[in-house]
Amino acid sequence: MEHSSDVLISIGPVEITGVLVTMWVIIALLALLSWLATRNMKDVPGPLQNLAEMAVSKLQGYYEGILGPKLGKKYFPIMATLFIFIIVCNYSGLLPGAGHIKGFSVPTASLSVTAGLAIIGFFTTHTVGIKERGVKGYLKSFLSVLLPLTLVETFVRPFSLALRLFGNLFGEEMVTEQLYGIFPILVPLVMNVLSLLFCLIQALVFTMLLSIYIAEAAEEE
Amino acid sequence: MSSGIIAIAAALAIALSTLGPGIGQGLAASKAMEAMARQPEMAKDIRSSLILSLGLMEALTIYGLLIAFMLVAKI
Repeated sequence: MEHSSDVLISIGPVEITGVLVTMWVIIALLALLSWLATRNMKDVPGPLQNLAEMAVSKLQGYYEGILGPKLGKKYFPIMATLFIFIIVCNYSGLLPGAGHIKGFSVPTASLSVTAGLAIIGFFTTHTVGIKERGVKGYLKSFLSVLLPLTLVETFVRPFSLALRLFGNLFGEEMVTEQLYGIFPILVPLVMNVLSLLFCLIQALVFTMLLSIYIAEAAEEE
Repeated sequence: MSSGIIAIAAALAIALSTLGPGIGQGLAASKAMEAMARQPEMAKDIRSSLILSLGLMEALTIYGLLIAFMLVAKI
């Protein structure tokens, strides 16, 4: 399923793939943008600071709506970070040459990346649960008649998160490519317009589900 | 294994996996439209949760699409 031809350089057992390089570039760009936006903050913001403030307040409102005001304030940074990273990764597939230029392929269309994100989500959920309720209280929340079901659900969740994001992005890329093969002019544009919407929805769905899981893990009985 | 059977399996995988989510999305959309017509002031909230739930249902089809692509790669 995974394309191993993506490897650019291999240093011993560590293989530097195109996905990895694209991810580094995205991380560097985002870090640079945040640094530029918050470099000298003023009371009357410039255009970049204004944009960053708007994005942060919109995201905070959205996640506080799901997590509630107390948890929302505490755990909104990780959700917003995941959201911004995922959405920029998704939209990088719309740039010309994605997947064809060596060293530039969409990170979230690779199962390894989405699995990594889902594992982050898995550990975040349980860490938050233990932090908010204590080890004993959190373990007690599993003890009920439905114990086997809850355990299965706990381990199925990261799989479904990873597969959903990977499947959507991978499927989108493949469908666009197939359409390009059928008729290269204008037809793939239809799928590109659709992916503008889908990329946003998938990033939203991933972080929304994760925040629902976190809210569930942290809630007091 | 003959490649014809794999091709039919791939076609079945995507065809069958569109059926359920298709019906589900239709039901969700129709109920949401009804609710929006009854309470236009709630339209914004309903629309955003409709799009999210459609996205969740869409994922099921995408699983089928994924399997179909994996099967096609085996031919």
